[in-house]
Amino acid sequence: MAGITEKQVLDALRVVQDPDLHRDIVDLEFVKNLRIEGGAVKFDVQLTTPACPVKEDLKAQAHQAVNAIPGVTSVEVNMTAQVTRSASAKKTDLLKDVRHVIAVASGKGGVGKSTATANLAVALAQTGAQVGVLDADIYGPSTSMMFKVREAPVLDDNQKLHPVVVNGIKVVSMAMFADEEKPVIWRGPMVSQMIQNFVHNVVWGQLDYLLIDMPPGTGDVQLTLTQSAPLSGGVIVTTPQDVSVLDAKKGLKMFQKVSVPVLGIIENMSYFICDNCEKKHYIFRQGGGRRISDSLGLPFLGEIPLEPDVAVGGDSGVPIVEKNPDSASAKAYRDISGAIAAQLSIMSASQTGVLGDFDYSWDTLPVEKTA
Amino acid sequence: MTLINAPTGIFRKDQDRLLIRWNDGSVSEYAFRFLRSSCPCAVCVNEWTGEKMLDDSRISQDIQPARLVSVGRYAMAIHWNDGHKTGIYSYDYLKKIDPQRNQAPAG
Repeated sequence: MAGITEKQVLDALRVVQDPDLHRDIVDLEFVKNLRIEGGAVKFDVQLTTPACPVKEDLKAQAHQAVNAIPGVTSVEVNMTAQVTRSASAKKTDLLKDVRHVIAVASGKGGVGKSTATANLAVALAQTGAQVGVLDADIYGPSTSMMFKVREAPVLDDNQKLHPVVVNGIKVVSMAMFADEEKPVIWRGPMVSQMIQNFVHNVVWGQLDYLLIDMPPGTGDVQLTLTQSAPLSGGVIVTTPQDVSVLDAKKGLKMFQKVSVPVLGIIENMSYFICDNCEKKHYIFRQGGGRRISDSLGLPFLGEIPLEPDVAVGGDSGVPIVEKNPDSASAKAYRDISGAIAAQLSIMSASQTGVLGDFDYSWDTLPVEKTA
Repeated sequence: MTLINAPTGIFRKDQDRLLIRWNDGSVSEYAFRFLRSSCPCAVCVNEWTGEKMLDDSRISQDIQPARLVSVGRYAMAIHWNDGHKTGIYSYDYLKKIDPQRNQAPAG
C-alpha cells in the first residue's frame, strides 16, 4: 500500500494561510509533531498567540486540506500556541514574559512624548493587549500625573517592585520615588544604576507591550537603556518644525548606533482644529514628520492634532484616548498604535533566526561542525 | 527597512578561531589573537586620538575568549582569558574588521 507521506500532508497544508503574516502555515513552521499511522494523520498547529482570532478557521482549514488527501481516513488537528518573541528578547528574568519593549523617544523635550506614550498605552490596551508603561524620564517624570497614580509600587519580600495598575495598564514611574515638586538632580552613574533597577527589578509579569518613556535627548541615560533593556524597537516623536525634525534625526542616529530598529515617526502637534470651523490649521509647518520619514526611509506612523483636550486629559490623569474617544486625537492615537503593532509583527517575522540574547562561556560556545 | 547586522550563530571554529554566521547569509572568521588585538575599548584605544594603546606583543599566545555576552542587540562583550573584559564589539564593527572581507573586496 502506498502510504501517505509527510510531504503530501505538508503540501496540502500549504493552502492554509495566516491572514496576518500572509504566509502559509508550513512556511511559518507552525506545523509540529506530524504523525502518520496508516490513514490516520495527527499534527499540531502552533500559533504565535493563544488569542489568535482566526484559530478555529485555521483549524477547520487545516483539517479540510488534509482530509482531502486520497487515502486519509482520519485527521486530528491539535491547536497549540507559542508566543513568538522579538529577536532581541533577553532572558532577563523579569522581562521574560514581555513580548515587545518599545522605547518612545524624542530628540528634545517638549514635543509631547509623555502624552503620546500614555495615549498609545491606552490605545494598545483598548485592543485587548496587556500593556505596561515605564516612565524612564528620570529628570522630569510625568507619567504618574498622566495616569493619576497616587500610590507607590509595592516592594515585595524579594526586593522586587510591583507596578501600580491603572485601568489595566501597569505603570512604574520615577515620580513614584521622588517628590513631584522637586527636580531630580542626579549624576550619570546614579542614573544608570536607577535605570538598571527599573528595568531589572520590576515584576512586569505577562505583557504584550512595554512602552518606555525615554528621557529627552540622546545622552548617557538613553544609551544605558538601550544597552540594558532588550528593545524591540523605538518610536520617535517629533513636532513639525525643522528644529524638532533635526533633533528627531539625532534620536534616530542613537537608535541606529545601538541597532534598535526604528518603528517609525510620530508627528505631534501637527495641526489645530478650532472650535468653530473644521479646517485644519497647520500652526507650525506642515509635513515635517513625513519629510524626515521619507528622507530616512522610515515608516511615518501618523500625525496627532493639537487639541486643548489633549493637554487637559494629560493634566487630569485621563488620557484623551480614554476620556474623549471620538476626538481626532484619539482616533490618531488608535491608528498609530495599530501601525506600531503592525511594524512589530513584520519585524519579528523578518528576524527569525537571529541570535537574540546569549551568554557563552568557552565550554558552552557551540563548535562549528561543517568545514 | 535596512537589514541590521546581527549574528544568527556564533561558533568555536577551532582552538584559535571564532566563526560568526550573519543574518545576511555571510560568514566571518576571526583569529582570537586578531580579535583581542582589535579590542575597541577605551583601555586599548585612546578615546580622543583613536591611537592604539594595546601592545600586540603582550597578547598571550594562547589567548581565548572566556565568555561572550550579548550587549543590547547591537554588540557582544568578549571577556578574554587574560582577564580583559571591557571590550564591547558592535556587530557593525565586527563586520568592518572581518579579515576575509578586507582581503578580497571582489565578492
